[in-house]
Amino acid sequence: MTPAEQSLAAAFRGGAGEPAWLADARAGALAAFRAAGLPTTRHEDWRFTSLAALSTLSLAPAPAPDDGEGPARALLAGRAAPEGARLVFENGRFRRELSTGAPLPAGAVLGSLADALRHAPEAVRPHLGRLARVDGLAFTALNGALLEDGAFLLLPPGARVEAPIELVFATGAAGRAVAVHPRVLVVAGEGARATLAEVHLGTGDTYLANSVTELVLGEGAEVEHLRLQDEGPRAFHVSAVFAEQAARSRLTAHGLALGGQLARSEVRARLAGEGAELAVSGLYMADGARTTDAFTWVEHAVPRCTTTETYKGILDGRARGVFAGRIVVQPGAQKTSARQMNSNLLLSDDAIVDTKPQLEIFADDVKCGHGGTVGQLDEAALFYLRSRGVEEAEARSLLIWAFAAEMVDLVRPAGLHARARELVAARLPAGRKVLEAAA
Amino acid sequence: MAVKDDIMLSIQGLRAKVADREILKGVDLEIRAGEVHAIMGPNGSGKSTLAGVLAGREAYEVTGGTATYLGQDLLALAPEARAAAGVFLGFQYPVEIPGVGNLYFLRTALNAIRRARGEDELDAMDFLALAREKMKLVDLDPAFGSRSVNEGFSGGEKKRNEIFQMAVLEPRLAILDEIDSGLDIDALRVVSRGVNALRRADRAVLLVTHYKRLLEYVAPDRIHVMAGGRIVRSGGPELADELERTGYAWVDGARPEVERAAGAGALS
Repeated sequence: MTPAEQSLAAAFRGGAGEPAWLADARAGALAAFRAAGLPTTRHEDWRFTSLAALSTLSLAPAPAPDDGEGPARALLAGRAAPEGARLVFENGRFRRELSTGAPLPAGAVLGSLADALRHAPEAVRPHLGRLARVDGLAFTALNGALLEDGAFLLLPPGARVEAPIELVFATGAAGRAVAVHPRVLVVAGEGARATLAEVHLGTGDTYLANSVTELVLGEGAEVEHLRLQDEGPRAFHVSAVFAEQAARSRLTAHGLALGGQLARSEVRARLAGEGAELAVSGLYMADGARTTDAFTWVEHAVPRCTTTETYKGILDGRARGVFAGRIVVQPGAQKTSARQMNSNLLLSDDAIVDTKPQLEIFADDVKCGHGGTVGQLDEAALFYLRSRGVEEAEARSLLIWAFAAEMVDLVRPAGLHARARELVAARLPAGRKVLEAAA
Repeated sequence: MAVKDDIMLSIQGLRAKVADREILKGVDLEIRAGEVHAIMGPNGSGKSTLAGVLAGREAYEVTGGTATYLGQDLLALAPEARAAAGVFLGFQYPVEIPGVGNLYFLRTALNAIRRARGEDELDAMDFLALAREKMKLVDLDPAFGSRSVNEGFSGGEKKRNEIFQMAVLEPRLAILDEIDSGLDIDALRVVSRGVNALRRADRAVLLVTHYKRLLEYVAPDRIHVMAGGRIVRSGGPELADELERTGYAWVDGARPEVERAAGAGALS
C-alpha cells in the first residue's frame, strides 16, 4: 500500500455507537477501498490523471472543530449573505454558528447528516449509499468508510424550496495534510423542487477533499445541483455526484471546477423513469502544473429520456485537462435523445487536454450525437480587438470570457452567479476590466 | 518643399513577407493631413497586405523599410498602441466574435484608447448616447449594439459596422481595406457618407479598393496603383478614369516598364 492508502485506511474507526446497518456499510466500504486501492493510470477511468503526488502523502483525519482555528471563518470573510439557507462545513463537520437557516416547506428537512444519523437514522437509511456504490470506486468507498458529516435534504412530495440552498465546505489545516470525506444526501419526493449549490473552498495547505453526493429524484422532481469548486492551490479535490431520476424528473448538474492542484469531478446519473431529463455541464480551468478532470457517466435505462451534456475547458501553462463522458443507452431505451459536447481552449503550447466523448448505444430508435473540439484563441479575433485599441491582455480576457460566459451564466441564483463571475474573472489576465466593461 | 509637419504618414521602401513569400517589395507612399488617398490595383498586388502591415497584423513580417506616422515609428508599436495613436483599419472581412457584445466591445476599445491618451473614460450612459448618434450616421439598427460582434451580420452590415466603429473612435488616419466590396449601391452611399463625415483638415484616409465606384462617392486627392508589391504609378483623381478604361492588364503585362515607372513615380 502507498503511504496515502495506509494513512487513509488507518483513519477508520469502525462504527462504534452507530446503528449496525451503518457500521456494516462502513466495514464493507473499507474492504472495497482496500481491494481497489487508489486508482493508477492503468485504470481505464484514470488513464490521464495521475495520483502519484497524492499517493506519497500521509493524510490525517481532519482536526476536531475548534472555534479559534478553523479555516471557515476566514474563507467566508467578506462574503455576501446567502439568498437562502447556508450550511457551513469546516473540515467536513457542520458548523452551526457559521450557518444560516431559512424557512422550509412543511415536512422538509435540511441539516447536518451527522445529526440526522444520530436522531433520525431511519430517514437516512433507505438512501445512504444506495446510489454511491463502493465496488471499484476507491474514493467513493473511502467516503463510505470514513464519512462523518455533510448535508441531508429531504423534500416530501410537492415541497418546493425557491431560494438556493448553499452548502459550503471549507477545508485545510496548517502544518498537516488532512483528508475530509463529506457526504451530501438529497431525497426529492414526487414533484418536489430545489436548487442546491455546493461551494468547495480551502486554505493554501495540502489536503484531500473527497466528497460524495447522492441525489434521489422522485417522479417529476426538479433539482438543480451546482458546484463551485474553488479549492486551495495545493488541494486534491475528488467529488462524485450520483443521481437517480424517476419518470419526468429534471436534473441540472452544473459545476465550475477552478481550484486545486488536482481536481476530479465525477457525475454518475441513471435515468430510470420515462421522460426524465438531465442537463449536465461544467467549466474546468487550470493553469500552472495543475490537473483538472471531468468524468461523467450517464445511463439511459428506459425510453424517452433526454441528456444534454456540455463541458468546456480552459487550460493554460503546463496544465492538463481531462474530459471523459460516457452515455450508455441500454437495450429498450428507445426514443432516447442524447447530445454531448466538449470544447476546449488551450492558451499555451504546453497545456494538454485529453477529451473522450463516448456513446454506447444498445437501442436502435434514438437520437444521439457527440462532439469535441480543442482550439486556441482565434488570432483573427484577437487582432481585430487589438486593432481597435483593446490591449492584448484585455483582448485575450474578452475572448476567454466569451468562451466561458455560457457556463458562468448557468449558475443562475443571483448571489452565486456574481460569485462565479468573480471567480472566473480572477483567473483571466485582465478579468477585472472585463467584469467592469460587462457591468 | 511642403511643411514637414503636415505629413501624416510616410512609408519608405517598405518590404514585408507572409510565411516565406515576399508580398511588399519596397512601397513608398506619403500622405498629408487632410488628404484622401486611394490605392488601387489587381488582386494579389499587395494592397491588403499593406493595410494589414500598417495596422500591425502579426502574420506579416516586415523585412525592410520604414513607416513613420506623425513622426513616430509606426512599425514599432503594438496594434493597440497604433489605435491609441489614432490609426484605424477598416477590415475587408470583419471578424465575427461570438459572445462579445458589439457595443460592449466598442466601449472597451474607446475607453482603452481614451486611457492611453490620458483622457477620462466614458461611462455607460455617455457612451450609449455617442453610439446612438453614430449609428444613425450609417443607418445601423440600434439592435445591432447588443448582438455579438459581427455575428450573423450580412456583408453590408459588417461594413457599416466598421464605419460605425470608425465614427465612434474618430481616428486621425483611417485605412479602409476594400470597404466597398460586396456593397449594393445604397450601402455604398451610406458607407461613403460615413467616410466623408470623418474628413477633416487634421485627418487622413487611405482607401484600398479594387474598383473606381467608391471613388465617385469619396473623392480622393491622390490615386496610387499597386502591382507586384510596389506602387507603380501615382496621380490625381483622373487616374481612376484611365484605370477604368484600360483595366489593370497593362500592369501585369508590362512589368519591366512598370518597375521603371515605379522608380520614377514614387517621388513624383
